[in-house]
Amino acid sequence: MTAFVAFREQLKLIYSRYDFYITAAMKFFLAFISLIVVNSKLGYMERLKSMPIVLLLSLMCAFMPANAIILVTAIFVILHVYSLSLECAIVVAAMFVIMFLLYFRFSPREAISVILTPICFALKIPFVMPIALGLTGTPSSGVAVGCGAIVYYVLRYLSDGVTTLNSIEAENAIQKYRYAVDGIINNKTMMVVAVVFAFTVCLVYTVRRLSIDYAWDIAIVSGALGCIIFLFIGNIIVHIEISALGAILEAIVSIVICKGLEMLVFHVDYSRSERMQFEDDEYYYYVKAVPKITVPKRNNTVKKIAHKTVNHSNTKNVRVPASAHSAEK
Amino acid sequence: MISQDKIRLMAQMTYYDEHVGKKNRNMASYFRGDYIGLQVLKSIISATIVFLIVVALFIYYDFEVFMKDIYQIDLMATGKNLLTIYLVFVAVYSAITYIVFAIKYRKSQRNLREYYRGLRRLGDY
Repeated sequence: MTAFVAFREQLKLIYSRYDFYITAAMKFFLAFISLIVVNSKLGYMERLKSMPIVLLLSLMCAFMPANAIILVTAIFVILHVYSLSLECAIVVAAMFVIMFLLYFRFSPREAISVILTPICFALKIPFVMPIALGLTGTPSSGVAVGCGAIVYYVLRYLSDGVTTLNSIEAENAIQKYRYAVDGIINNKTMMVVAVVFAFTVCLVYTVRRLSIDYAWDIAIVSGALGCIIFLFIGNIIVHIEISALGAILEAIVSIVICKGLEMLVFHVDYSRSERMQFEDDEYYYYVKAVPKITVPKRNNTVKKIAHKTVNHSNTKNVRVPASAHSAEK
Repeated sequence: MISQDKIRLMAQMTYYDEHVGKKNRNMASYFRGDYIGLQVLKSIISATIVFLIVVALFIYYDFEVFMKDIYQIDLMATGKNLLTIYLVFVAVYSAITYIVFAIKYRKSQRNLREYYRGLRRLGDY
């Protein structure tokens, strides 16, 4: 544990020293992974699949605000879907515009969830997002995760329906359009998952803010359990496509990942927590103080070895060795 | 003599200034009513665009039926229905905008007060 804490402190130190480069590198990787996932899942436009284009766009995103990644990825998705069918591209573009106009005006920071949630779905760890956002965000983050889930299911629907879309004649544009709209409106799984994720964010947020020991651990586990239970309830009510074993495995993996996140963000020692009670003229205070787990800093002895210059009014400057004045801390 | 407290304070203030300070000062350049009013106005425009997109998508979905029945539709009743839905949608969305940006404005004022208090402390060093 001490080694991990020391490693975390090292990470902090490195990040604070090279934050510009690390942030740029993280944006680059996020953009790169997003574009690769889009290419692998949709990939109808051959030109966009070329690696130089992906690398160039990722590099561009590295030096732009984080929301540029969303814009580039959204355009990428629309272009791929456009290659498949113009009508579907209109539907997807309308979906993105509605999301950005209605929700991301309020909290542009959370817009990145629209990208991260489908990536987590693709990596088979979808529960990570609602739990992680419940731990680090606010209840409103639930809307962002819900939007991410909707994006994932719409893209999956279009990706699964390529054969059907191609079998519809090119002249029958409205038929293709209806196929896309029906897929979105009648996709019960999408609706249930979006609502379940939003609920999970609220649940995790509420539990982790409770004044109880191990609140974050309980929040993670309750988030994972909440996801499974809500999904099973959804399955009973509207018969969605959810694999029970898959959901349980995904929940276990999500718990492990979120535990790692907790150790990075909120690592405290509950065994040394203290409760205090005091008062002033207006209030009673019930305070609970939980110490953070840290490693003691090494005491470095600093020895000054620089030379000190002494001015003599009637002589030349005389250099006095600093060892004569050295001070140890 | 370097004062560690002063450096810590300066670092905190620089962090605030670089991250949310600019945004908060921008908010504070408006009166509360003006700022929230502007955001509500933006929301009305956004909601109108979204409503038009959704209506267009629905019309296109049943375009053939729509074109066939266009002369038989009671335009007044349909228009009234659409207008009601539009007004309810805009009203709900504007109310949410009002609440969200009122909270944001209050937070930014609190942060700015802290920032100026920090500046005064810095001046005392």
